[in-house]
Amino acid sequence: AGFIKSPLSQKRLTQDSVELYCEAIGNPIPEIQWWFEGNDPNETYAQLWDGARQDRVKINATYNLHSTSTISIANLTGDDSGMYECRASNDPDRNHLSKSPKVKWIRSQANVFVIERPEITAQVAESSGKLILSCNISAPHLSITGHQWIHKDKVLEEDKKTDTFTTYEIDGTREEHSGVYECVFEANPQIRGQVNISVAPQVTAYKKSEHGNEGDTGVLVCKNPSFPAVTTWSWSKTGHGVSAALENASGRYIIKSSGNKTELRILKLDIEQDTGDYYCNGTNSFGTGEATVNLRVRSRLAALWPFLGIVAEVLVLVTIIFIYEKRRKPDEVPDGKRPPGKSNATNHKDKNVRQRNAN
Amino acid sequence: GRAPGPPDGGWGWVVVFGAFLSIGFAYAFPKGLAIFFKEIQNFFGTSYSEVAWISSIMLATTYGAGPISSILVNRYGSRPVVMFGGLLCGVGMISAAFCTSILQLYVCVGFITGLGLALNLQPSVIIIGKYFLKRRPIANGLAMAGSPVMLCTLAPLNQFLFENFGWRGSFLILGAILLHCCVAGALFRPIGARTALVETPVTEEGKDALKGKITEDGPMENKPEEEEGKDCFEKINQYLDFSLFKHRGFLIYLIGNVLMFLGFFAPIVFLAPYAKHTGIDEYSAAFLLSILAVVDMVARPATGIIANSRWVRPKIQYFFSFAIAFNGACHLLCPLASSYTGLVVYSSFFGLAFGMVCAMLFETLMDLLGAARFTSAVGLVTIAECCTILLGPPIGGILIDTFGDYKYMFIKCGAVMVLAGTFLFIMNYYNYRMLAKEEKERKRKEEDPKSVRTEDEGKKNWNKDSTQDGPELEPLREEGEGVKKEMNGT
Repeated sequence: AGFIKSPLSQKRLTQDSVELYCEAIGNPIPEIQWWFEGNDPNETYAQLWDGARQDRVKINATYNLHSTSTISIANLTGDDSGMYECRASNDPDRNHLSKSPKVKWIRSQANVFVIERPEITAQVAESSGKLILSCNISAPHLSITGHQWIHKDKVLEEDKKTDTFTTYEIDGTREEHSGVYECVFEANPQIRGQVNISVAPQVTAYKKSEHGNEGDTGVLVCKNPSFPAVTTWSWSKTGHGVSAALENASGRYIIKSSGNKTELRILKLDIEQDTGDYYCNGTNSFGTGEATVNLRVRSRLAALWPFLGIVAEVLVLVTIIFIYEKRRKPDEVPDGKRPPGKSNATNHKDKNVRQRNAN
Repeated sequence: GRAPGPPDGGWGWVVVFGAFLSIGFAYAFPKGLAIFFKEIQNFFGTSYSEVAWISSIMLATTYGAGPISSILVNRYGSRPVVMFGGLLCGVGMISAAFCTSILQLYVCVGFITGLGLALNLQPSVIIIGKYFLKRRPIANGLAMAGSPVMLCTLAPLNQFLFENFGWRGSFLILGAILLHCCVAGALFRPIGARTALVETPVTEEGKDALKGKITEDGPMENKPEEEEGKDCFEKINQYLDFSLFKHRGFLIYLIGNVLMFLGFFAPIVFLAPYAKHTGIDEYSAAFLLSILAVVDMVARPATGIIANSRWVRPKIQYFFSFAIAFNGACHLLCPLASSYTGLVVYSSFFGLAFGMVCAMLFETLMDLLGAARFTSAVGLVTIAECCTILLGPPIGGILIDTFGDYKYMFIKCGAVMVLAGTFLFIMNYYNYRMLAKEEKERKRKEEDPKSVRTEDEGKKNWNKDSTQDGPELEPLREEGEGVKKEMNGT
């Protein structure tokens, strides 16, 4: 048996996780075990199994063409620091309790250092229309090679300075730029801190005024693009006051809400009842926000009046034109009747006949 | 003496206004409907292409029903046809307001309204030819200006109606607005009545007037008497003059125009998407189309005036071919314009070229054929153009999708139009020469005691062919000289 891949030594912070990978080959396929020796001078090697250390240890092994094994330890503490050994053997007597094996287990070692996680003080300061985000790390012996600022998976700014603090400036107000910002200290290992700009919900209406036809379904939408997300939405209407009134009491209201959007559907719109202002209210741990949506319900016959008006106007105009024509040419009275085109043709025909006969 | 001829003024200007309205609705209405499509798509849950079919069916019907229009006008005259067309449009849109499926919309909006618009478009153009001769290009230019004006009016109006009444209410009101085509139709006072009033039937001048009237409205007058003893083919021919296909000028016009329409409309359809593709925001892209419309609005009457001048009128076919080639050149140069200013310049020139071509579209056909045969001609031309008009934008779309670049579409449109323009130029040069030759022949024969021009009922239609050329050309020639005299006199 022999190792194809050996585990690598790593540095980690407390509360982080670490993964060690080991691969071995042999005929027959070797078995892989993980053993650990702590930093205490008194400690000896002890074997690790899947679920050890209060279920923080997970071992994943496959034995196909060759053996692979991955050990992952979550939520690291200082006691997890030490030497980790990957051992492989394909001797049939390898685990025999009394016999000693003919071939020894081959071993490969990796050192895991768990460093106390340094504290990062994250701050948001507001001054003269600008926001200043700052991260200050308390780790004097750490060698920093650079900084980064990340927001929504996009790198906003980065530099190669070695300071233990870093700042980022935004033009605007807290309300405009709410969200989660990460400050990254490039070192071994990489240390990330989080700066949150939290505000009360900035609730806005998707459309300030909505229209709906009588009997149709009306949809009113409010959204909250700010951070953090809204925990409770409520809708209310002038005259009714409290949100409960707009629950499914009459069965006509359907409210669908999520962290950043809420939708109020009103079935079978009624002109009397449903026209008016609707208030959508969003609450989170930092406050509440409200927006107004105005709903106008069109009567089914709303378009009828302009329609009849225009038709009447057309009829009047056509009548005026025909009357004007009749008055201008009195000897055309017999031709004046509709369709004038046809009768004119007939007229000519008669005249032609007369002319031809005359010829 | 000669017949008094078209009035060239007076009530004619009122007719031009009516035609302005009618043509405006016919061209602008299908484009204006696009505002409602999103809502209709959401309401019926169909895809965008299914809704876009409404526009296509409407456009196809408007152009395809051309011959029907011609037949009806030949039989009944312009006025009843336009009024009926207006009524049909109104009924179509009103019934569309109550539709419950997209298929019903295809029928009501696409087919019925499209048919009504077809019955509006052709007769309006025809009646201008009956009312104007000397000032006909100006009249045509003014009437065709209806299209951009109506488009600029309909677009915001449709938006307003949609916001206040929803799409059903808007269709109802638009149906009522389309009834104004009936008003326009009512203004189309039949011209025959007017001429008859000017000269009383009994006097000698009256006889001449009516003789002149007969030769001008030849097909309409002779036929009712010859109805007995005619076979089926001749019967169809009396309503729709298929003998036009033997007319040299008509064939030249037909081939040139069918070719031109292959690249005529595609650039307008793709101008806004192209602008957005080059990174321009939506509002500026829409503004380009507005610039186009405004320049178009001004270009059409201006072109009419230019085409009416004594230098251009006799050789108006050359002016038309130049306008088409100019259009093509604009498209060929468009890919070079990459900045927003470049596109603004392109839109202005495009608007100018587009207006020039549209203003003279029907004028040149009238010039070649004369008012009488124009009725049938316009129907046959529109149904032939129908295919290429519908094919143009989709072909452009395929080019854009295949190559991922808009410039090939512009190059294709530009090339097609330059080709069409050159073709028309060369063929019309040939045509003018042949016409000059024929005129010399005719003048020689006139000194002959036997007159070729008779109103003989027994003659077959293709003899009428040669006789018809005479009256229509003479006014032009004389008119050319007449205008020259006018100019010299003033």
